[in-house]
Amino acid sequence: MMQAIDPNLLLLGWLIRSTLEMSTPLVLAALGGMFSEKSGIVNIGLEGMMLMGAFTAAAVSWYTGNPWLGLLGGIASGGLLAVVHAVACVTFKGNQIVSGTGVILFASGFTTVMLKVVWNAQGASDPVTKIPDVYINPIKDVPILGTAFGQMSPIVYLMFVMVALSYYVLYRTPFGLRVRASGEDPSTLDTAGVNVDHVRFVAVVISGCLAGFGGSYLSISFLGFFGKLMTGGQGFIALAALIFGNWTPIGCLLAGVFFGFLNGFQNTIQILNVPELQLYLNFVKMLPYVLVVVALAGIRKSIPPKAVGTAYEKEAKA
Amino acid sequence: MTADESSAEVEVPLTTKPLSSLDLLNAKLYTWSFWKPVMWAVISIVLSLIVSAVIMLLSGYDPLLAYRTLFYGMIIQPDYALYFATPLILTGLSVALAFKCGLFNIGAEGQVYMGSMAAAIVGYAVALPIVIHPLTCLAIGAIAGGLWGFVPGLLKAYRGAHEVVTTMMLSYTAILFTQWLATYPLREPGQVQLTPQLPAILPSAAIPNVVGNYLHWGIALAIVSVFVVAFILNRTVLGYEMRAVGFNRDAAEYAGIDPRRNMALALGLSGALAGLAGAGEILGNYGRFIDHWSPGIGFDGITVAVLGRNHPWGTLLAAIFFGALRSGGTFMNAVAHVPIEMVGVIQGLIVLFVAAPRVNDWLAKSGFGYAIWVKNEPKIAVPNLAALVFGVISSVLALGYCTMKGLGGMFIGLYFLVAIVGAVSFGMTLSKYRRAPFIHVVLCMLWLLTGAVDSLYLGGVSFRTAAVMSIAGFMIAVALFWVRSKMIKEGRCQP
Repeated sequence: MMQAIDPNLLLLGWLIRSTLEMSTPLVLAALGGMFSEKSGIVNIGLEGMMLMGAFTAAAVSWYTGNPWLGLLGGIASGGLLAVVHAVACVTFKGNQIVSGTGVILFASGFTTVMLKVVWNAQGASDPVTKIPDVYINPIKDVPILGTAFGQMSPIVYLMFVMVALSYYVLYRTPFGLRVRASGEDPSTLDTAGVNVDHVRFVAVVISGCLAGFGGSYLSISFLGFFGKLMTGGQGFIALAALIFGNWTPIGCLLAGVFFGFLNGFQNTIQILNVPELQLYLNFVKMLPYVLVVVALAGIRKSIPPKAVGTAYEKEAKA
Repeated sequence: MTADESSAEVEVPLTTKPLSSLDLLNAKLYTWSFWKPVMWAVISIVLSLIVSAVIMLLSGYDPLLAYRTLFYGMIIQPDYALYFATPLILTGLSVALAFKCGLFNIGAEGQVYMGSMAAAIVGYAVALPIVIHPLTCLAIGAIAGGLWGFVPGLLKAYRGAHEVVTTMMLSYTAILFTQWLATYPLREPGQVQLTPQLPAILPSAAIPNVVGNYLHWGIALAIVSVFVVAFILNRTVLGYEMRAVGFNRDAAEYAGIDPRRNMALALGLSGALAGLAGAGEILGNYGRFIDHWSPGIGFDGITVAVLGRNHPWGTLLAAIFFGALRSGGTFMNAVAHVPIEMVGVIQGLIVLFVAAPRVNDWLAKSGFGYAIWVKNEPKIAVPNLAALVFGVISSVLALGYCTMKGLGGMFIGLYFLVAIVGAVSFGMTLSKYRRAPFIHVVLCMLWLLTGAVDSLYLGGVSFRTAAVMSIAGFMIAVALFWVRSKMIKEGRCQP
């Protein structure tokens, strides 16, 4: 039945699959960052929230043997860390970037300590139960499609659902309108009788939940274990994707998939093992970072929410 | 007339006598605005130590032993502590200097890498006499780091590109670029190690040690840098302009200061300090450029600057504190077997607490408020105090059960819920939220529920604790509601 398939076609299928897999955590975390920044709170701590989500998901999955509970745990722990960020930035009007840095430092230290406590391991945990992949049998033997979509983590599909959902929530619901208003012009929102701090608090927690979701994907769906500092800067790339995608859900998706494609491209180069290409692998890795700098420097106009980064202080009663 | 003139002559030197810096310092020491930030920093450290102790307790380590060894380790090896502090002083200064101009240099790590790479190249490829060689390397390193900071500075000033994003992105770029240099064009010939590295620097370029095996003369360089940065910021036109821009960009521009030039220069200088940190570490400590050599000194620089409240001298103290924490951490790891990363947890918590100084204000105010309340109206305050303590104990106990092994997912989930509700109850009671008693009742019911679930399905692992907690909780609840009804009757509380 199987004919000799052109290896280039196989590779193309593999590249598509790899792109989708690599972009999933980026898009999820970028969506998270979008909720927070749309509401006016900078969330540098995405990296830490992803790491926390990855760890908790792996730990819960390991304890209970149920990866779906692990996913819930990962989302909840990301949200919990976001509560800390929200308390510091929204309730107590602290410096958002400093607090985000604190979140990252705390999460890096905490997950590494807990890796030792839970698995008594230095670098990587024991294998944990993974979320089972979704198989689409009818297309299994189709040349490119089969390799690309034949076997895929359900979270990749969920990621697309989350993008659609975020779009709906942000642009079609009253809550979304409030989130956008509190990021653009909080005093007007306040005048309209909405508590700006409540809106921001909820938005930051949603942001943490989504980042935790992305982190969980890494540990219990993509790899099947928790590794020390396993997010490796993906939270910052997600932040870059958010800016590159101009603070919109569709933009986040496109930018996330593009950065995911660069990652997938790297993997493909590594598999191909062509020494001439290998030499320039680092430059491919640099591309997302350099592109963001170039984009910010004015090739394309990016417009952040107006009030982002500033705490909203109610005027004192006269 | 003459008498008047003479008296005026006597008085003139008194009134116009210039104040020396010592007088100014003396005057400062008596002001609350000088001590308040110091108090904040100290309170943040204490709070983060308390939270870390809870984390250690829950993960099965002995916090008392850990802190004993940590503090002992911090004191017994001052040279080891200063060895860790040396690069932190410089990266901390780097972040603090940018902060003073209103810029957040989050990518000091990349500037560290660029500086260290440049210094390492000059260190092995160029032959120079003994003292000139390290100085040249340091200068080149500072220039390389400075350029790497100047680029985002220019982009910020003239194109409005946010420096948090650009410095962070350029930091990753620098790490990847130096990795590429160390892997391909400049890799040490015939090298067998897995980690890519450059050839060792020439002996003439090395910075000698001060004492012992660790501490090198880079520490002197770092302390001189503190003087220089303090001088630039407080005594020069450039520093004045930078601070003005950081304080209020528009006002500075209105006053005739060019904010663009100052911002670009500030990030450039900031990058130069970070590059200096990297160059110093290569020449004094590592002896060559190794891929990924830095244990995150750029990122730790943010911690140092934040704790030092962006003041050069504060930065020095904070860097020494964190250096001591690191050296104490290795001792703690060796004796109490607590992972060294616990130091990272403490650091992160300190930053979180410092980020929101109003937490301290709020805690202090609530704490004093409670003390006065208990003194004035013990009948009303004591049940509230009991509810407060009950919330904390519930939270900690429930978290303890969460970490017990061999329990089902439902049980862990239930106890996690108890822990969160306990924390919420604590917060609400502390802020005297009028519906706090209801949250307290929910907490008691959750304890009852977990006790029941436990005795039905799990054979009573925590049955006794749950029973005691729910009984105690309901007794407190009765007292709370009694107080509440009394207060409603008196019209002091909304129903």
